Amino acid sequence: MKTGEIHDFSLYEYHNLLQQNILVSYKGPIDERIMSVIGENIEVVTSSGDAKAKSKIFKVFMELAQNVWLYSAETCNVGNGRVMGMGTLVIGEFGNYYTFVTGNVVKNSDIEPVIEKCEKINSLDRDSLREYRREQRRLANEGKKNSGNIGLIQVALTAESPLDIELTPVNDEESFFSIAVKIEKDEQGN
Amino acid sequence: MEDIHIEGSKGVYIVPTVHFDAKTGICEISGESFLEETARFYNPLIEWIKSYVKDASHIQFIFKLTYFNTSTSKWILSILNELKMFEKNGGKAEIKWYYHEEDLDMRDDIQDYVVDTGLSIQLLPFE
Repeated sequence: MKTGEIHDFSLYEYHNLLQQNILVSYKGPIDERIMSVIGENIEVVTSSGDAKAKSKIFKVFMELAQNVWLYSAETCNVGNGRVMGMGTLVIGEFGNYYTFVTGNVVKNSDIEPVIEKCEKINSLDRDSLREYRREQRRLANEGKKNSGNIGLIQVALTAESPLDIELTPVNDEESFFSIAVKIEKDEQGN
Repeated sequence: MEDIHIEGSKGVYIVPTVHFDAKTGICEISGESFLEETARFYNPLIEWIKSYVKDASHIQFIFKLTYFNTSTSKWILSILNELKMFEKNGGKAEIKWYYHEEDLDMRDDIQDYVVDTGLSIQLLPFE
């Protein structure tokens, strides 16, 4: 066997692609254990002294990673009835802000309401978003809706950023759905 | 009536610390909350409050939560709704919520619970 034969793609190119501005990149099965490991390390990988941004990235991460775990159409069974959702998580750092991006495969038949929800969230100002969150929480509390509905509103409120969504068709039944948010660094470094 | 004492922990899940004292009526929830089965954790707390307020005229509730996920936020509303019900029935619920002064998101969260429930919640900075 010649050296390099096992490399069916260039890991170096992949590494270089990620090298610029990417603090964390994970692709694979996601569940609460993976979330806890990456979540704990957000503190370590983000630049020092910015407690506010770190806390915001952590909160956004917990909600969006949980969505991948629970709602990805691509799953793997790990035994004992446990199911992990497959997806991708990326934390990036640019001049004065961080980005957090998640992506996973979705069924085309399921995604329309999620997109409508994101568009509604993006159309609301902060006060209206808070009102929307209160309304959804009340409905969830009365057992009328799943509390999963609150997660995306919470993400937009915490990140103070619109939900930048992208839908790329995979085949007739499935698409790759991605959400990106931006988290401003704290100028004072508090 | 038994007290509730739960020591918080941080592992795969994040469990808050809970101290509910049946003698003094002082109840405190602190730390962070991200749980495996949120209902299984919070339901007993709600049942405790329901049963405590049956024979009480006063309850003091102290929140020192610094992080909770959206699934937990629904249960906090349930707790506050119980306290609201208690006040409607003539009881006195004294509610304090400690937060880090720079954590404006938490302040908004607490104020939204005030709007939601009409309860008076005292916002206090951590010392």
